Amino acid sequence: MIRVQREDVDMDAVLEAVKSMKSGCVVSFFGTVRDTSEGRSVQRMSIEVYEEMAVKQLSMIRDEALERFGVHEVAVVHRYGDLEVGNNIVYIGVSAGHREEAFQACRYVIDELKERVPLWKKEYTADGEVWVEGDRRE
Amino acid sequence: MRVRVKYFASFRDMTGKTEETLDVPEGVTVEGFREHVKGLYEKIARRDQVLVAVNGVFMPLRTVVREGDDVAFFPPVSGG
Repeated sequence: MIRVQREDVDMDAVLEAVKSMKSGCVVSFFGTVRDTSEGRSVQRMSIEVYEEMAVKQLSMIRDEALERFGVHEVAVVHRYGDLEVGNNIVYIGVSAGHREEAFQACRYVIDELKERVPLWKKEYTADGEVWVEGDRRE
Repeated sequence: MRVRVKYFASFRDMTGKTEETLDVPEGVTVEGFREHVKGLYEKIARRDQVLVAVNGVFMPLRTVVREGDDVAFFPPVSGG
């Protein structure tokens, strides 16, 4: 399951999509909106997405994780639009036979997402609006 | 040839546009296209990192852009 959506993550639905009879575990990662960023107090956040490309990139990362770590299923749900402090931003779920490869694959997916998937955070602070930008090299 | 270009996040703010159609020479590469856009927008030219995607994929800089391709310019991503 790969989704880019405004709505919150439906945990039950995602878990059902990830779990399988042959799997012994599901490792989950949630990214959430923090109330500070680089010393600034964050009041809220908005996330912009290049949706068509984001879905394409996430599907590629999912396929890489399945192939590289031999896990059973990978689900990613990333939100965009206006978010409040404490809201969910992203959910990653990985099912596998054993926890070792599930943790590794989950880590791989979030690390690659932060480098390659076209999403941008804008933080609203007491000092104004700030685009957050990563440090990807060409 | 005419190619449709999209801008995202801070680049949208810098250009004041979400998209536009640009006239570029036949055979232009991704790198050449990026130089063309930097020539149009000084604020983008000043950026260290100008990412380019063609049809939703990061392509090597020497890749030739074709008429009808979807080209997107944006800063380093920050999801997650």
